[in-house]
Amino acid sequence: MDFHGHPFWWLLTAAVVVWYSTITIYVSIRGMHDIRGMLQRLKDKQTP
Amino acid sequence: MPHFDWLVDGSIVGVYLLLTMIAGLAVRKYVGKVEDFLVAGREMNVYLGIASLAATEFGIITCMYTAQGGYQSGFAGATPGILQAIAMLVIGWTGFCIRPLRDSGAMTIPELYQRRFGSNIRRAAGVVIVLGGLLNMGVFLRIGGEFLVVATGFDAKYLVATMAALLLLVAVYTVLGGMLSVLVTDFLQFVVMSAGLIVVTILVLYHVGWEKLVDAVALNHGEGGFNPFVNKSQGWQFVAFQALHNTAATLTWQTVTARLLAAKDTKTGQRIFTQTSFFFVCRWMIPGIWGIAALATLAPAAYLTLSPEMQAAPSLYAMPLFLSTFVPIGLMGLLVAAMLAADMSTDSSYMLTWASVIYNDIIAPFKRPGWTEKKGLLLNRAIVACIGVFLLFYGLLYPLKGNLWDYLAQTGTIYLASMSVLLVACCYWKRANSWGATAAIAVGAFVPLTYLVLRDVTATHEFAVAIGPNNAGLIAYGATALAMVVGSLLKPQQAEAR
Repeated sequence: MDFHGHPFWWLLTAAVVVWYSTITIYVSIRGMHDIRGMLQRLKDKQTP
Repeated sequence: MPHFDWLVDGSIVGVYLLLTMIAGLAVRKYVGKVEDFLVAGREMNVYLGIASLAATEFGIITCMYTAQGGYQSGFAGATPGILQAIAMLVIGWTGFCIRPLRDSGAMTIPELYQRRFGSNIRRAAGVVIVLGGLLNMGVFLRIGGEFLVVATGFDAKYLVATMAALLLLVAVYTVLGGMLSVLVTDFLQFVVMSAGLIVVTILVLYHVGWEKLVDAVALNHGEGGFNPFVNKSQGWQFVAFQALHNTAATLTWQTVTARLLAAKDTKTGQRIFTQTSFFFVCRWMIPGIWGIAALATLAPAAYLTLSPEMQAAPSLYAMPLFLSTFVPIGLMGLLVAAMLAADMSTDSSYMLTWASVIYNDIIAPFKRPGWTEKKGLLLNRAIVACIGVFLLFYGLLYPLKGNLWDYLAQTGTIYLASMSVLLVACCYWKRANSWGATAAIAVGAFVPLTYLVLRDVTATHEFAVAIGPNNAGLIAYGATALAMVVGSLLKPQQAEAR
């Protein structure tokens, strides 16, 4: 691998791209589940 | 010629805006109480919290100042992001301050202060939080509008109309649905924003290339472009101030705290902090790389397409200018949708969270007995709308001078210095009392405000420049902590007991 003399910044850039891509997919799926759960709990609270 | 195509890219943006409005308005029926409006009934779970915090903390304004950091300081420009990620990870992991804050059940930080320092401190804290926050967010709308004008090639004469339309869309769903609408739209905006940021970054790394980016930084900034300690515009003072500033922001920045307080329990709040921490590196690195790419590829003649005012600050507008011709048709629609998503999530959350302080800590404590839930909701909605109007006019009238991040850091320090010192003292120092809190609030606001005034007045401008924003910030934090200690120790123990 050619870091062009700056391995720290190369690795950090790679980590940013990989981590952000992964977390976006993961949070997109789990976040939907959270929204459904949150709205259901609020609905239950409103029901007398 | 910018690559924005109205049919292809405009349609992508239109679909995104439509979906956001539908999502934002659909959940308003779940808002029955003030608590639902301000903290979503405290029902937010981890992944929604991560999406919401990430979307809120990344707006067009963020993209602009972090890209400016990359353009002006190279990779070292991302130093504040690395420091904030460390602060977020440590605070989330240990629960430092945030555990007692969330456990207290307060809806805002000043509410916690009232229990320890009294109601006057609650109101004073509310005032400085609002003052610092509104001055800080006052420039968001203009910068967002300017990004769109440069990146898409819109005629600058439509800038005001663009800003007003953007704000109106955000205000409608925030006023009606409060935190619930903010959370749901934040989620959608996180997905769209992240997709755009990742795709464009991969494109930049692939087409411009790592070698060219590194060479541009080395040529323009030397070793200082890779190491903040030897960077001419940074140095140890910059690193020290940013470490303090970002720790304080993690502890007390209203939009970050709002996620902690909306979390369903303390453990969830801490997990949101730890799991979002690395996002703060991404938040600085991604636009920073875009800024470096602008430095590496833009020819001097390219800047002549900017308006004369923008040519005076080329570092701020280089990134959108670069993207306008680099990103192809189709992807440009995704990029603009991503940037609109980023901006809307930030604006909505900022309007709501600062409105919550105005209502909860400045207005409501005066009302005995309190308002009914219906009146409280109405008042909150009116405050959000008023903040929207303020944003529009402040954005139009305030002429931004100098580095954007320096402005944001100084206006943020007006309250971050005192609020962070108060929070630490409130949670962990038994001798802390109302005298110390009063002194800390006064000193914490006085130092950065004085610096801003000195810098903007012609006669004292040079003096302020000689001090510099980093030293001014360090003085603010040091003096505030000292004021808290001295003030608290001066108060007689008998008076304290009473």
